[in-house]
Amino acid sequence: MKKTAFLFLLLLLSTACSQGPDRAVVFAVGGAPAELDFWENLADEFTRTSGIPVRILRQPSDTDQQRQSLVIALKARMKDPDVFLMDIAWIGLFSAADWLMPLEADMDTVPFFAQVIDTVDRFNGRLIALPVYMDAGVLYYRKDLVKAPPDTWQTLIASARKVQEAQRKTQPDFYGFVWTGAQYEGLITVFMEFAGTSGGFVEENEGIRLNCPANIRALRMMRELIQPLAVSPANTFTQMKEEEVRMAFQQGHILYERNWPYAWALHEADDSPVRGKTGVAQVPAPETGRSVSTLGGFHVGVSRYTNVKAEAMAFVQFITSYDNQKRMVMELGWNPGRQDLYDDPSILAKAPHFNALKSVFQHARPRPLKPYYSQISAVAQTHINRVLAGHAAPEEALAKADLEIQGILSRYQVDP
Amino acid sequence: MTQPQPNMDENRPHHINPFQESWTALLFMLPLLAFLLILIVIPVVGTVLDSLMRDVAFLPKKWIGLTNFQVLLKDAAFWQSTRFTLSFVVVSVPLEVFLGLLIALVLNESFSGRGILRAVVLIPWAIPAAVSGRVFELIYHYSYGAANYLLKITGLSHEPMNWLGTGMGAFIGVVLADAWKTTPFAALILLAGLSAINEDLYKQARVDRAHFFQRMWYITLPLLKPVIVVTLLFRTVMALRVFDVIYVLTGGGPGGATTPLSLFAFRYFSAADFGYGAAASVLLFVIALVFSVLYVKAGRFEEELE
Repeated sequence: MKKTAFLFLLLLLSTACSQGPDRAVVFAVGGAPAELDFWENLADEFTRTSGIPVRILRQPSDTDQQRQSLVIALKARMKDPDVFLMDIAWIGLFSAADWLMPLEADMDTVPFFAQVIDTVDRFNGRLIALPVYMDAGVLYYRKDLVKAPPDTWQTLIASARKVQEAQRKTQPDFYGFVWTGAQYEGLITVFMEFAGTSGGFVEENEGIRLNCPANIRALRMMRELIQPLAVSPANTFTQMKEEEVRMAFQQGHILYERNWPYAWALHEADDSPVRGKTGVAQVPAPETGRSVSTLGGFHVGVSRYTNVKAEAMAFVQFITSYDNQKRMVMELGWNPGRQDLYDDPSILAKAPHFNALKSVFQHARPRPLKPYYSQISAVAQTHINRVLAGHAAPEEALAKADLEIQGILSRYQVDP
Repeated sequence: MTQPQPNMDENRPHHINPFQESWTALLFMLPLLAFLLILIVIPVVGTVLDSLMRDVAFLPKKWIGLTNFQVLLKDAAFWQSTRFTLSFVVVSVPLEVFLGLLIALVLNESFSGRGILRAVVLIPWAIPAAVSGRVFELIYHYSYGAANYLLKITGLSHEPMNWLGTGMGAFIGVVLADAWKTTPFAALILLAGLSAINEDLYKQARVDRAHFFQRMWYITLPLLKPVIVVTLLFRTVMALRVFDVIYVLTGGGPGGATTPLSLFAFRYFSAADFGYGAAASVLLFVIALVFSVLYVKAGRFEEELE
C-alpha cells in the first residue's frame, strides 16, 4: 500500500513538473534522421535568438503514422504539440475539425506560391497554414539512353519498350519504367498524373466520382505497363513505394522513374551509379487533356489548443523566413514553399533544376481538399490496386469505387 | 487440472467476523479491480458508446443509435475484411495448434539438449510481430527476397515470383508468417499440458502393449483435450484481432484482399471517424465473444470442474 501510494505520488509530481510556467513550444515533426537533425539545429537557433525554448517531438517517418499521432493528440485537446507539419492531404481534415489556430494577420503570404496558399492554406477566408516544402510529381530519365524526355505517356511507353529490349541484352533485369503502384497514397498521386487534367477525382455539385473515360484509359494503361507489356516490374502493385522506386532507378537498371523531387539529390550523390546520367522532366501528358503534376508537400500549422500562442507564431514565422527556408534547401535539398527562393542565384548554382520546378509547382494540381479525403482515397487505392493486380476491369473497379464514395459522402452530409 | 481443495472452514479461526473478513478480501482485491476498471471496463464501455455516435472530427458529435452498424453491414469493404479475418482464423489457428502439438510432443520426450531446444523454439514468439513481419518481407521480396533467390539457384524458375501479388499468395504469405511467430506459443501451452499427464498411465499402457498411436489416441489426446481447447481459444481470439504482421507485410493489399477487421477499424480511427471505427471494433468484439462461448461449450469445462 505504501509502495502504491509512493508511486502515485511520483506520478502526480511528474505530471506537475511537466507543466511549468515557462513551457517550451513543442514542435512535432517526423522524417529521416538527417531531417530531424536539421529541425533540432533550427530549433536551437530559434531559442538562442528569441529566448523561447523549443522541444522537438520526434514522429515516425511514415506519414500515415504521423497523421494518426496528431489526430489523437488534437482529438484529446492536448495542449501540445503546439506546432506541427501537416501533409497537404490532411489539411482539409484538420481545418474542418477546427484544430488549426488562424495565423496572425500580419503574416506575409506574398513570397509564397499564391495558388497553393489560396487553394490549400486558407479556410473560410483565414490563413491557417503555410507551405514549408513543396512536392510535385516529376519524371526522371536516363540522359545517356534517350535524347529527350517523352511528352506523352504513349511516347514514353514506346521508348521504354524499345530501350528495355535493347538493354536486356547486356542487363537482364533492366526495366523501362518504375512508379509507385503499391496500395497507399502514393498510388493516387501517380494515378492522377496518368489520368491528366480531364481525369482524377471529378468534383461536381458537392459530389466526387472516378468513373470517367480519362480514368478508365489511365487504369488500362497502368495495368498494361505491368501486364502484358512488362515495361514495369511485376511487383509494381505490391512493393513499389517512393524509396523502392528511387533505389531501383539509382542502381542503374531503369530508364524512366516517376517520383518526387527529393530523389534528385540522391541520384546525384557521389556514390550514385546514375550520377551525371539523370535528367528531370515534367510528367508526360495523356491522350486528352494537359500534363499535370500532383501537388504534395508539408505545411506548418499551429494547434487550436496551444497555450503558448505568441511563441508558437514566432516559431512559425522563423521557420518560414527567407534565410531558414534557404538553409532547408542547402542542407536537405528540399523545395521551399517560398517562391522567391527559386530565383536565388546561390541556390540555382547548386540546383539548376529549381528553375523548371517553379513552373511545375505553379501548375501542380491538389487532391480534393475534403475533410473525408483519406476515406475516399482509401477506396480509390483499393480499387485501382485491384485493377493493377489484374483482379478487376477498369470500368468495373471505378463503378464500384463510385458506389463506395457515394456511401461515404452520404454518411458525412452535414445536417441541413 | 483441478485438485480437490482441502476444506478451509476447518482451519479457520472462529473469532473473526465473516463480514470483516470479506471487507479485508475486497480491500486486497481493490488494486486489481481498479486496474480492470481502468484498463478494460472503461475502454470497452467507451467504445460501445462511441459506436452509437456520429463521432467524426469534422462534424458535430451526435447520437445516431445503430446507424453506424446499419451502414457497416452494407459496406463491401467491411465484408471483404470480415471474410478475410474469418478465413485467416480458420486456416491459421488449426495449423498453428497442430504444428504446436507436434513440437510439444517432441519436446516432451527426454533427450540430451532438450532444455536448449525448448528455449530455441520460443525465439520466434519473443520477436515482436512487426519485426517478424519485416523478416518475412525480406523472404518474399520480389527483387532481393530469399524465396526468389532459392527459386533461381535451384533452377525451378528463371523469372522471379511476385509472392504477395495475388490474393491467394498474400493470404498464404501472411498465414505462414503468423504461423512461424505463434506456433511456439501453442507449443508452450500444450507442453505444459503434456507434462501434467501422469507418467504411470503410459507405463500401464506399455504393459498392455498399446503401440504409439494407441497411446496417443486413448491417453494423450483425451487428457490433453481441455488444454487443446484453451490453446485454440487463445489463438482464435488473438488471430481475430491480428494486425501487426499484416500491417507490415502486405499493408492490407493487394486490392484490400488481406485487410483484417482490426486494420479496417484502425484506418477509420486514424482518419478521425471514431464512431464508425468503434462500430467495427464492437462487431469484432462480438465475433470473438461468440467464438469464445462456442469453445467453452465445446470444452465442457463445467464437467471438468465437477
